[in-house]
Formats: sequence, structure tokens, C-alpha cells
Amino acid sequence: MKYLGLIWRNVFRKKMRTFLTTSSIILVLVLIVILASLLQAMQADPSGGRGANRLVVQHATGLGNFLPLSQRQRIEQIPGVVAVSPETWFGGVYKDDRPENWIGQLTCDPDIYFDKIFDDATIDPKVNAEWKATRNGFVAGETIAKKFQWKKGDHIILKGTYIPLNPDLVYVGSYNAGDESNIFFHNEFLNQSQWFGANKYTGLYYLKVDSGESVPRVAAAIDKMFENSDAPTKTLTEKQFQLQFMEMMGNVKFLINGISLIILFAVTLIVANTVAMSARERITEISVMRTLGFRRGHILGFILSESVLMSLLGGILGVVIAMVLIPLLKMAGNKTSISVWLINFHVSWDTLVMAFVISVGVGILAGFIPAIRSSQRKIVDGLRQVV
Amino acid sequence: MAQSAEPLISIEHVEKVYHRDQIEIPVLNDIHLDIPEGEYVALMGPSGSGKTTLLNLIAGIDQPTRGRIVVAGRDIATLSQTELASWRSHTIGFIFQLYNLLPVLTAYENVELPLLLTRLKKAERRKHVETALSIVGLSDRMDHYPRQLSGGQEQRVAIARAIVSDPTILVADEPTGDLDARSGDEILELLRRLNEEFGKTIVMVTHDPRAASRAHRMIHLDKGILHADERTETGATRPV
Repeated sequence: MKYLGLIWRNVFRKKMRTFLTTSSIILVLVLIVILASLLQAMQADPSGGRGANRLVVQHATGLGNFLPLSQRQRIEQIPGVVAVSPETWFGGVYKDDRPENWIGQLTCDPDIYFDKIFDDATIDPKVNAEWKATRNGFVAGETIAKKFQWKKGDHIILKGTYIPLNPDLVYVGSYNAGDESNIFFHNEFLNQSQWFGANKYTGLYYLKVDSGESVPRVAAAIDKMFENSDAPTKTLTEKQFQLQFMEMMGNVKFLINGISLIILFAVTLIVANTVAMSARERITEISVMRTLGFRRGHILGFILSESVLMSLLGGILGVVIAMVLIPLLKMAGNKTSISVWLINFHVSWDTLVMAFVISVGVGILAGFIPAIRSSQRKIVDGLRQVV
Repeated sequence: MAQSAEPLISIEHVEKVYHRDQIEIPVLNDIHLDIPEGEYVALMGPSGSGKTTLLNLIAGIDQPTRGRIVVAGRDIATLSQTELASWRSHTIGFIFQLYNLLPVLTAYENVELPLLLTRLKKAERRKHVETALSIVGLSDRMDHYPRQLSGGQEQRVAIARAIVSDPTILVADEPTGDLDARSGDEILELLRRLNEEFGKTIVMVTHDPRAASRAHRMIHLDKGILHADERTETGATRPV
């Protein structure tokens, strides 16, 4: 601790240089923390693990194909299956095409949906009962209900896109869950329409099994049951189902990690250059300190500490700025179709630890060679620089 | 001051050869010299004569190619780098021509620097630093940075830094070389006081015969060879 003052003063010896170098670290850390938090949010389970007993059955070829409703009864008969709800992505337009008006629109079986399948969501029993009884009723995640300021009895009209139907729906109430970006309305609404899939098809099946141990067995049993049918299935856990949307965007993780590594390498070179310049300017001073009795290890420690301190300062400021920016980005993103991926968009402890390790790591890597060179230089050679 | 029988510094057949690329450059050749405790010695000679090299060897910041340098009974040529660093911090106070204060530290902090290597507590360090600064007459400038001091004041701070850990030997490499005559005189007077009042053994490199005349002995080097070792008028009255 008694050396901290000396290290601190040396870090700020050339204020402009330190400011510019620290700013580059800040920028990099802001970018990395935001990207890492976004990646984590995109990979996170929106139910926070509470959906571990839920499975999603989709067509083996992908979400573009429908599954016959006749499969429901056969799935329900598999031991371990508690409840099955057909679910269809309606994908209509609310108001207009602007991203801030995007809503996730899903149809399901209201008789069992919140009672048996999505049972970790919170919904007022009265709202649930009224929704079940209202054929054109819909419930909405509280976030989205507040965003559009819906009140009970409000009507909304969705303009169908791939399903040629413009449902006039009435708002019944809201639910609370990890993902509150969706509205749910009755499958029956579709079944009584002129849509070609009415009473024949569903987008997918959402089902609940009795325990975590049953999950792989039931998933395998479903896919085996339909593997030679006209509509083979692919059964996924809820988390796997979410992750496949990310994969549709390409290898985002690889891209984000690649970008992060490149900018980290660049900033390490910037810090290394600053530390090397600072050490070079102090060759005589360092030799004087060694003349006074400071050992090579002291000099190594001082230069490395200066590098780590500068990097850590940049890192801390970078994280703080990222923590301020992320809620703002989340607020902006919530108005768009990516809002479902922003549910868990925040700086986690894992990201904080990663930022700390990166900051210290950059400092050590950048300071290592200048520190070694400064500590190994002969005293007389250093003194001769000016004498 | 009473002299001890054994010399404090004993230089025995010391040679120093530098290597530049493939070329050998002999700098000191078979130097033999004894310096008793409490003596004030001036090393003189033209540029390139090897006087700074000899000073560096005595201070333990360089090592001889051949020969022994024994200080207070200890052959410092045999010490490791770590042992030498520790030995220097206890035994040697170094005064440079260009003062070499750390510009980011105040006068107080510069003087405190060698004490950071000791186990002294902050309050004890403060006491030592204040004493050293008062000896050099700069108690009122302890919060000033080097850039806020004159050359003479900077050199006095450097002397305070050299004496703060109470070393046995002070080595000074042209301590007045960068100062005007008046400031130079003040520094030489300070060195005399440190020698006479505090008993410090001083080895000083200088080009200036006037500065050298303040010492007890003048040792002349030329081309790495010890040419003359004579007692000054100041030293003539001193018991040997």
C-alpha cells in the first residue's frame, strides 16, 4: 500500500496520454459488456428455469410447416405427459408495421394453458376464468398491456399475414411471467374461421411433463411415434426452442466473441504502447530507484501495477457506463420485435467478473514486456541515458 | 575524528572492461586504493579517465571485471543483485550531478523514497525525512515539486534523500557540475558538514579543483590508471 501513491502518480504523469488510453479501454469494455450481456440475454431461459418440465413439439423440417391436430391425443397418451396445448403463431400486424407496434401473437387452448402448462406465470383466477369464457378474448403480458395502455374491454384488430384472418379481439386482462411480450387468444378463434388449417393444423404443441427426468424420455417417445408419419416431429425443451431462433440469425455467438477478441487485442496493443512509452521516458528514474536500493522485483511490480491500474480504471468506468446504457438500450429494444431477447438483458455477476478479468488481463499482458525490460536493464546503462 | 585501523573501503587490483559489440574497452586498470572511515575523497581526472566507473563500483551499482572491493569487511563483488540492492539501501547514499529527483513526487516524498524499503512506520519515516530536510535547510519546501525548486535546492533535496537512511558512505558524481558558483559552494559546504559533523565517508567525482580542495584527499585517474593520490590542505591538518 505504501507504494500506491507512487504508482498512482506515475499513471497520471502524462494526463492526456492516460486519458486517451483509458478512454480506449472504456470504449472497449462498454462494447464488450453490452455484447456479452446481450449474448447472455439471448441465450437465457425466459422462464428462469421454471420451464424445465415444458417441451415444444414442432415439425421436424422447421417452424414453417404445420402439425396435424390429430397428433394431440396420441401425445397426451404418452406416460409422463401432463397436458398438451396446440399453439399457433398468428403473426399478424397490430396498427401498422412499425417495430414499436410489434406484439407476439399466439393462439392456445385456454382451458389448460395457464392452469397446467404455463403454470409458473401469474394470472388472476378471475381473469383466467373470464378469458376461458370469452371466445374472442385475449390476455397480454403485463409489460405489453401497460405499453399499449389496454383496459379491460378494449378491442384490438389484428391484420393477418400468412393466416388470412383479421381477428377483432377483446382485452380481458394481463399475466406476469419472464416473457411478457406476447398476447394469447383462443385456438377456437382460428378453428371457426375460413383458414385452411382450421380444425386440422397447429403451429406446434406446447406440453408439460410430470418431472425433469421424464423430459428426455417423453421427447424421444414423441419423435419416435411420428418419425414415419406425414408430419415427423422435432421435440425440444423450452430453452432449446428459444435458442434455435438465435441460430436462425447465424452464429451470433461466434461473431460476438470474434469481434470482442479482435478489439481486446487492439486495446492491449494500445495500452502496451502507452506503458512502453512511459517506461522508456523513465529509464533514468528507474535506474535511480534501483541505485537507492529498489530491487528488480520492485520495478517489475511498479510497471505492471501501473499498467493494471490504468486498465482497471478504464474497465471500471466502462462497466459503469455499460450499466447505465443497457437499461436505455433495453427500453429502446422493448419497442421492437427483438424485445423477447431482451428480457434478461442486464449486467450479470458473470459479466462483471469477466470484465474484471479482462481489465486485469489486458493490464498484465500490456505491461509485461515493458516491465521485464525496465527491471532487467543494468543500472549504469540506465544512468548513462542522461549522464 | 578518530580513524579505524581497517580501511572502510578497500579496492584491491580492480579492473573493469566494457564490451561494446565485439570490442573490449578497458576502463580501469589494476586500481588499488584504501579509504578509511570518515574520509572525504575527491576523484579527479579528464573525461573518460574512469572516475565515474570507479565511483559506480564503490557504490555497488556496477561490478568489477577483476579484483575485489571490500566495504566494511564485505566483498561486494561477490553479492547477488538482490543482496547488492539491500546493501546499497543501508550503506550508500548517492548524489547525482543532475539531482535525479522523481518529478511526480514532492521534496518530502522524494526524500522518503529510500525509507519505503525499510520497515519504518509512516510516523517514523516522517521524523527521518523532516530531520534530513532540516539538515539541508529545506524544511519549508517539503511540499514543493522539483519543478518548483532551484537547481541548488533540488540538489539539497537529493542530498537529503541520500542521507535519510543514515548510510555510512556518500558517493557524489559531480554534485556541483550543474550549479552556479554560489549554489555549488552551498552544496560543498553541506558535504563538508556531513563529513565533519555526521562522520560520513564521502567519495566525490569532480572536474573542479576548487571543489576537490574541500576534500581530504585528491585521487587522480587518467586512462583508467591511478596517477596520484595526494592530501589536500584541508586533509593535511587531519590525523591519518
